[in-house]
Amino acid sequence: MLPYDRMLQEYLRDELRVINAHLPRNQKSLADLLREEYPHVVYNNGSTHLFKRKELEYLASLIDADKQEALLLPVLIELGQNQGEAGVICVGGIVEEVISKVLDMPIKGKQKRITIYRPQLALLRRKLKTTTQYVFYPRVLE
Amino acid sequence: MAERVQKIVRDRLSILCMEFVETARESVEARRRLLDQFSQAYKALSIAAGYHGYIALEKELVATEGVSKIAAGSRNIAGVRTPSFELTGPERAIRGYSLVDTSSCVDRAAQLAEKCLESTAELAESQRSLELLGMEIARTKRISNALEYVMIPALQATMKYLYMKFEERDREEKSRLKRIKVLLQ
Repeated sequence: MLPYDRMLQEYLRDELRVINAHLPRNQKSLADLLREEYPHVVYNNGSTHLFKRKELEYLASLIDADKQEALLLPVLIELGQNQGEAGVICVGGIVEEVISKVLDMPIKGKQKRITIYRPQLALLRRKLKTTTQYVFYPRVLE
Repeated sequence: MAERVQKIVRDRLSILCMEFVETARESVEARRRLLDQFSQAYKALSIAAGYHGYIALEKELVATEGVSKIAAGSRNIAGVRTPSFELTGPERAIRGYSLVDTSSCVDRAAQLAEKCLESTAELAESQRSLELLGMEIARTKRISNALEYVMIPALQATMKYLYMKFEERDREEKSRLKRIKVLLQ
């Protein structure tokens, strides 16, 4: 490998480490977060991420009480496959239901992913600022 | 590889710009809301002062000093750590002043003042986020430009040079083989 390549690979690794340092160690369910006094999750880098109670209450108003146990937060938004697209990672149908209600349009997931476009992403982030999180696509290293 | 790095940097830059625009919009909105609420609160306070008189109002308000709780934490936007503030605690029905000696004008002024506090926290959050995002955008843009205008052209020039060298060596090899063939014949 050329020294340039090695340097760039190191740089890319560092850059990915920096921009993905905010991934949560584990996601928490909406019901659990609503029970906490200060709803938060811990990131991989040890820092904490505080959820806004208003947002949690908004999400709780969108789904039934039994589904609140299954909705894991923060919802992860994957970037990097395509400049104009973003993928929302959804395990189970609850995220689909929530995103569809937030964006006010029918949405169907494919292979545990929902594909949304930049204008929809902006709208989603405007409504769910603290309950969504970006993930940069690490497969670029392959 | 450099192009892959540039792609991810550019992707990050576009996300940061999108968030910056959103935060700027939010900040303008929060500032406008704060000014409206402050003007309403001052109006309500002057009505209350007019109704009760300054001395009586001051006497009532001396006993009402309360502590507001604010939950301060952080959130991360594509690698940028931004602050997050939220006023906590239930809305107070009894604020400390005498309900017998005061009117609903004081209640209204107090209610509006509490809303002002909430908006101040919101504005502080969005303003600081805006600054941090701006700084990160400038940093990422420098990296992206360095890749686009320095590293990638340099790598392409090196590749071109090496490609030319290999071709030249190839041609030399071919002519050498031809020469050997002629000599052998």
